Amino acid sequence: MRKYLFIFKSEVMSNLQYVFNIITSFIGYFLILFVLLNLWKYMYSDPSQVINGYTMNQMVWYVVVTEILWGSLGGRSLSKKICSDVRSGNIAYNMNKPYSYIGYCLSSHLGSLAIRFILYTVLGMLVGFMFLGSFPTLNILSVLCILITGILATIISTLLITSIGLLSFFIEDAHPFYWLYSKVILVLGTIFPIEYFPKVIQPILNYSPVYVVSYGPAKLFVDFNYNSFISIILAQIIYIFIAYTICNFMYKKGVKNLNVNGG
Amino acid sequence: MLMEVKNQFKISFLSVKYALMREMLNKTTFITNVLFMILNNASFIVQWIVLFSLKDNVGGYTFDQVMLLWGISAGTYGVSHFFFSNSYHLSELINNGKLDSFLVQPKNVLLSVITTDVTTSALGDIIYGYLMVLIFGLTPLNLLLFTVFSILGGITLTCISIILNSLSFWFSKTDVIADTGNNMMTNFANYPDGIFKGGIKLMFFTILPVAFVNHIPVQLLTKFNLGLFLIVVLVTIIFIILAFTIFYKGLKRYSSSNLMVARI
Repeated sequence: MRKYLFIFKSEVMSNLQYVFNIITSFIGYFLILFVLLNLWKYMYSDPSQVINGYTMNQMVWYVVVTEILWGSLGGRSLSKKICSDVRSGNIAYNMNKPYSYIGYCLSSHLGSLAIRFILYTVLGMLVGFMFLGSFPTLNILSVLCILITGILATIISTLLITSIGLLSFFIEDAHPFYWLYSKVILVLGTIFPIEYFPKVIQPILNYSPVYVVSYGPAKLFVDFNYNSFISIILAQIIYIFIAYTICNFMYKKGVKNLNVNGG
Repeated sequence: MLMEVKNQFKISFLSVKYALMREMLNKTTFITNVLFMILNNASFIVQWIVLFSLKDNVGGYTFDQVMLLWGISAGTYGVSHFFFSNSYHLSELINNGKLDSFLVQPKNVLLSVITTDVTTSALGDIIYGYLMVLIFGLTPLNLLLFTVFSILGGITLTCISIILNSLSFWFSKTDVIADTGNNMMTNFANYPDGIFKGGIKLMFFTILPVAFVNHIPVQLLTKFNLGLFLIVVLVTIIFIILAFTIFYKGLKRYSSSNLMVARI
């Protein structure tokens, strides 16, 4: 465990050198947020209107939280890195090191996004407050619970994207699968809460990654209760186990197929 | 003069053709890239089905018009990223002194640089654009107009990217500005202009010409107006002139890094 903490720490330290870059990348995040905030302001002709159980303020905060989770994740670079590690043969350097490649990917990616996660959370909250003028009513304990679900959501996303990247062992470029995954999360979980979809689809979405990586933490932020917290965190723990098992299985199977030429 | 232009187009076309052939060496990767980009764009249809279940029109657009808007924005993005892919990496080429190999060629430097690479997935965007017109607004005139608007809009997007990336001739670290500007064009292009108010709308007609690349073309696909069409053509010409002027003004400041590279 100590070696993974060390990798995590090294990545955090290295990213601290590029805080300015992270802040400038927030411009892109702000833009998406700005477009979605305008969209929801337009959709709610009256701010007190309730659509599918959400007021305009709740909807805006929902989008802010899901966008913080998605924007700070940097999933694209993770998927690209694993694809290029496999394609270029760089993965061979990781195979003979005394750590698991999955553990390395997880700790190194979490380290690289830690600063971004903190900055996006602070800046995202500021943008939401500037737009609406108020925060949802939450106490310190509930904020802590939401933060835990947010961190677990990020770990699950990282593992799921790692498994997509590992598809490169079997097809040369797995990156297009990442596009599809990201759009599923974006459309089904980031822009709308699950309640916006037809009742027939809702149970399926409740068991899908959408529930644990975006809907869960955002729903808690806009409408916190301990029962929801417990069911979300349980689902997240199960998902971490499933995602890690899939990654390990794919890595072990993929490494057997691997051919690296030259050096 | 005409012969020179013709030759330049021929060279640019061959450059794109060979870059495409290179990408097609691995057929599975090529097909997955194109197909998944179509699916990627299509996934957003769900978003609009949900939004239109709440309101009959969004920002003054009907569902069919929003689909045409997505078609136009996919078409323009596709043309720009497929034919002029390197215009999005100009900043890196300038900063790393990688323009040298283009400077010694007896052809137009800017066109040679931007047509030297293709983004395969952008083909999926172009196909998606045509699918949207076929499903939501099929008439012979619309097909022709869609092709024209995709080319004009694609050229305008490329010119904006060239202008922003050319800032690297004068300042360092401008790649962030270029990326942000290009992202702004893409993000605003996919939403009806009616949901925005005030200063933002003014930006769509000036520094972020989304109106001329996306919103007005959708209006013209619904109801053609020669005056508006000519304005779109004029705006494209203005951006072409601006892009060439700024790039060549900047190129005078370019200094080689004596970097040895092999272009394969």
